[in-house]
Amino acid sequence: MHESAPNYPAPRRAAQQGAGLPRLLPATPEDLRAHLARYGPLPYREMPGLLIDDVETAGLTGRGGAAFPVYRKLAAVARARGNRKVIVANGAESEPASRKDELLLRLAPNLVLDGLQLAAEAAGVTEAHLYLHAAGPEILRALAERAARRLDRIDVSITQAPPRFLAGQETALINRIGGGPALPTFQPPRVTERGLGGAPTLVQNVETLAHLALIARYGPRWFRAAGTGSEPGSMLLTVYQPHSKPLVTEAEIGAPLASMLPAGQTGPGPEVQAWLVGGYHGSWLPLPDAAGLRLSNESLRPFGAAAGAGVLVALPAGRCGLAETARVVRYLAAESAGQCGPCLNGLPRIATALAELAGPKPRRQVREDAERWAGLVTGRGACHHPDGTVRFVRSALTVFGPEIARHAQGRCSAANREPFLPLPASLPTREEDWI
Amino acid sequence: MTGATVFWYASRATGIVALLLLTAVLVLGMVVNRQGRLPGLPRFAVTDLHRNLSLLSVAFIAVHVLTAVLDTYVSIPLAAGVVPFASGYERLWLGLGAISFDLMLAMIVTSLVRGRLNRILWRAIHLLAYLTWPVAFVHSIGASKDLQQGWLLGLTVGCGIVVVAAVAWRLAGVARQVPRAARVAHMFARHDATSGQAAPRRTRQGASR
Repeated sequence: MHESAPNYPAPRRAAQQGAGLPRLLPATPEDLRAHLARYGPLPYREMPGLLIDDVETAGLTGRGGAAFPVYRKLAAVARARGNRKVIVANGAESEPASRKDELLLRLAPNLVLDGLQLAAEAAGVTEAHLYLHAAGPEILRALAERAARRLDRIDVSITQAPPRFLAGQETALINRIGGGPALPTFQPPRVTERGLGGAPTLVQNVETLAHLALIARYGPRWFRAAGTGSEPGSMLLTVYQPHSKPLVTEAEIGAPLASMLPAGQTGPGPEVQAWLVGGYHGSWLPLPDAAGLRLSNESLRPFGAAAGAGVLVALPAGRCGLAETARVVRYLAAESAGQCGPCLNGLPRIATALAELAGPKPRRQVREDAERWAGLVTGRGACHHPDGTVRFVRSALTVFGPEIARHAQGRCSAANREPFLPLPASLPTREEDWI
Repeated sequence: MTGATVFWYASRATGIVALLLLTAVLVLGMVVNRQGRLPGLPRFAVTDLHRNLSLLSVAFIAVHVLTAVLDTYVSIPLAAGVVPFASGYERLWLGLGAISFDLMLAMIVTSLVRGRLNRILWRAIHLLAYLTWPVAFVHSIGASKDLQQGWLLGLTVGCGIVVVAAVAWRLAGVARQVPRAARVAHMFARHDATSGQAAPRRTRQGASR
């Protein structure tokens, strides 16, 4: 049905092996000249709506964590009424463990900006924003170079995101760009109907836009050459593993989790005791299960897990998973916007219970309390912060069950008590922290 | 009571009941705001009670106005029920009654379409309750000779005392309110203090921040 789409050129790439990964990340930052030499000019369609079919055929989903079909948001904004429509490229990855958007914006800023312009054209958008924790020299240079060559049809304005966990949440982002604090609000109405200043608003993660820019150039068939039938394409990952620095890499969706470990370590060896998939709103997976799993929501769903924004942590043996979880949950609870009762009252309580479980000789009923409170906060916030936190907590209680038993006897399997999961230093205490 | 006076008595009776209902609605509104509870009722029932009593009091006031208009002893135009100072009889006191009724209608209409309204706008209009009740109270005392003596005077003074006490309780709540950004820290302080086990220990590096 989409065969009438333009004849797509083959990607101009020296080493095209298999699905041709990496698709998004060059080795070093690419300026506009190098970018255009590699990808050619922006394939504007000269008409709103045209690209949407290709994006649907490609099966691109949002790479910010929710994996929502991109064409549906594009179509919703395209058909919404109003003279003013807005697009926001969301580069404020607020997950402390995620580094992929930051790296993408540094290495391939022009690919993201291409995607922003093409998505804006497809959805008939009149106003474009870029939402970032920090605007690095690469993205500023890219914007300046594009302005000099008049590549962009819509001006892009940059808004800085506060360093909060929830700052990148869709409604929080809209409140921030609108001039207020970055606090989530209840939906509906969906932001595609009433977003920034009441205008229909398309919010897309920067990686999603980069994929979209490639689909516009090489077509949906090329995009589907990687990934699985139900979840095509590739995704950026931030991988944490024993004995090395965190690594941002691009992987085909559906690749075995075990293959994400660095070369030389083909499977989860004795070094690794558990995997954390999907970041701090994600799930711990016990080793026997994780060893055979693949990086796709289809494969992870039976275990209550999802690929999310692509954070993958291999927790080394000799660390206490409970202590790691307790530290992160305390952080998550402190990052509650303090707006919804279940989140405000529940998360600190759950965090305190986990802290007790992480210590020696926790009282017998503490685990039960934590599980009961977890059930009470689920689905009861304006955003998914309580739900995501509870998913993380529940998976920890299951996967580290044997460790809880050990703690009950006053023992702990951890030899190394240095924190492994990364956390930011500052927590919000004042109203200004959210701006 | 004869056929000629039935409207007059009905109007006075519904007026007195409406004053009691409005007092209850105002106090319940403050309980809802402070997330308080009534004995034997869950919180959502307090909200429902507040809403239903407010609708009931409007019904009583409608009867109160209609019967006053229908009574032929004094001539009050129907419009005086909603248009302030449109009545020749007791112009000031009835005018205050009309103002209070209009304010109530504004609060009820905005509450019925609350889902379509900006929360701040709804709240601003709802704060008019603190103007509505005193105006209705002054209307009651001024317009009715009944309330100025005997046990009805006691009832009226009682309503006044209840409302003043409730407002004081409400203001105490405002003074105790924790700013939004500090709420989570406040919660942690409470839990850490009550859970004896939760003092920082060596397995929780960084957690005591």
